[in-house]
Amino acid sequence: MNEYSPNLAVIKKIRKETHDTNTYTLEFSDKKLQKSFSPAPGQFMMLSLFGIGESAISLSGTSNNGSVTTTIRNVGSVTNAVLRLKEGDFIGMRGPYGNGWPLERAEGKNVLIVVGGMGIVPLRGVVNYIKNNRKKFGDLEIIYGARTPDDMLFRYEFEKWKQIKNTRLDLTVDELPIETTSKCKIGLVTSCFPSMKTHHKNAIVLVCGPEIMMRYAAKCLETIGFKDRQIYLSLERRMKCGIGKCGHCQIGLKYVCKDGPVFNYADIKPFIHPL
Amino acid sequence: MNSYIIEKKDMNILLDRFLEDYKVFGPTRPGADSTFDEITSIKQLHLDYTSTVLPPKKFFHPPKETLFSFELKNDKFTTKESIQDEKILILGIHPCDVHAILKLDKFFSADFNDTYYQNRRKNTVLVAINCVEPSEHSFCSSMGTGPYLDEGYDILLTDIGTKYLVEIGSKTGQKLVEGVNLRKATETDFHEKERRLKLMEKKIKKFMNTTWLPRIVRENLDHEVWLDLGEHGGVDGSFPCLSCGSCSLVCPTCYCYDVYDTTDLSLMSGTRNRELDSCQLLEYGEVALGGNFRRDRKDRIRHWMLCKFGAAAGGKNSSCVGCGRCIRVCPSKIDLTEVAKVIRGGKQR
Repeated sequence: MNEYSPNLAVIKKIRKETHDTNTYTLEFSDKKLQKSFSPAPGQFMMLSLFGIGESAISLSGTSNNGSVTTTIRNVGSVTNAVLRLKEGDFIGMRGPYGNGWPLERAEGKNVLIVVGGMGIVPLRGVVNYIKNNRKKFGDLEIIYGARTPDDMLFRYEFEKWKQIKNTRLDLTVDELPIETTSKCKIGLVTSCFPSMKTHHKNAIVLVCGPEIMMRYAAKCLETIGFKDRQIYLSLERRMKCGIGKCGHCQIGLKYVCKDGPVFNYADIKPFIHPL
Repeated sequence: MNSYIIEKKDMNILLDRFLEDYKVFGPTRPGADSTFDEITSIKQLHLDYTSTVLPPKKFFHPPKETLFSFELKNDKFTTKESIQDEKILILGIHPCDVHAILKLDKFFSADFNDTYYQNRRKNTVLVAINCVEPSEHSFCSSMGTGPYLDEGYDILLTDIGTKYLVEIGSKTGQKLVEGVNLRKATETDFHEKERRLKLMEKKIKKFMNTTWLPRIVRENLDHEVWLDLGEHGGVDGSFPCLSCGSCSLVCPTCYCYDVYDTTDLSLMSGTRNRELDSCQLLEYGEVALGGNFRRDRKDRIRHWMLCKFGAAAGGKNSSCVGCGRCIRVCPSKIDLTEVAKVIRGGKQR
């Protein structure tokens, strides 16, 4: 089998999230492939548009009938072209790649999710997984930071998330427009840590966002007692192949695509700090 | 495996045998430097070369290749893979380059298979030749990749005066020489081989101490030598790195590539291609919204050095084989054996 050749998928549904971000529900055209396709939360796909290029994209969820959803912001040539697509259009897709979040290790523990901006995308699957398997996990706490309330993704699901038993959702933004009715706090995600309920004892932290945010979030968590081993980060790197051959996503001795994108903080600390 | 003797003047017989079944590539000398090129007659062949400009990597992992073509027909895309199945034979490849190919073999089959590389590799026969004259930049003896070869060849030649010792390393190799009338090698021939290889080893003037090297460089991520390499120069008389990427281009184990699409004018069809890339180039670590994980030159040259010392994600599969090509082409006179010395603390700048 040739790993490089994408399979065709059809866009079943498009949901507008913000002015430059949409959520797409995708299904493989090949029904057999569709049936055997079961990505884990935190894995990613290589999406391709013929004639434009390929791009590594996180999955934001899976559904019962096997279709996947992915949330894409317009930031480059491929994503720009994706945003012009309509329902029923075709897109190339291969994967899933990467390791995904350590859900088994999180079982029985309190889960703290710290996300910034688009970082919420790969963790939406985790929130839904915990919702569906509530008894397996301890308390859930989500700290979500974005630029403005209008830049927040999955706003329509916040109420549902709050209703998950023993769950706390903390929202913070960089700036609040004057006319807003939103009740978000203003500040970085780290400013939510003092009022956080999760104690470092018997907890696991899942972090995703811009690298600078993850770096400081991890450092702050360290100072309040969390051990490096308890913290997991999902990294972003340039990727051309997704299978550890093109070299672009190297970090230390690992490939982000193949060995990650989720890493234990203790393992990659020396490599994300000085850079 | 069997061993034979062929007189140098009879090499054309062997070449003709190869040409029957394969397209043959070997070292030629079109100008001052040697290069691997197609060989159709014995006159083109220069087996006494020291090093070529580009490594034989170009046959398996070409500088540019098409992965597949695609076409839009009736609102649906169809793709067609481009499969390369030409049978080729590389004649006169040096031990360091064979070791580099063995490393790439492991790299391109680890976890996921790279069909394109493996296809080309499968259809290739390697006729190696032991080195008798090192280039001034070679340090293969330190890397354990030369000057002589023990594995990875189909046929191995060794220059022993007016003759070549022909050692067979695989069934394909055996089949290739079967039709040719060759004398069996004697013990004297092997003694002569050993004598010459020992002599050769003494001619190598460059060394690199590799003991614990990956570990040592990993512990020295903030060593001042990286800033010197990238910005100040002065590592054994080097100038600051220009980020030109020449070192990656000529490195036999550099595997990184970029993927891009092209379309024809009708916008109805096109190709997806890959092209060698280099971690020395600014765009290599760039991500959306202008982020770049290796914006500084010192970070990029450090990454390349780490990779060649075996301390990057490629590990041993992308580490140095000591061919010395990067030292030769570097416009800033950067020499990785000197960098290793500085990091080991053995040499002050």
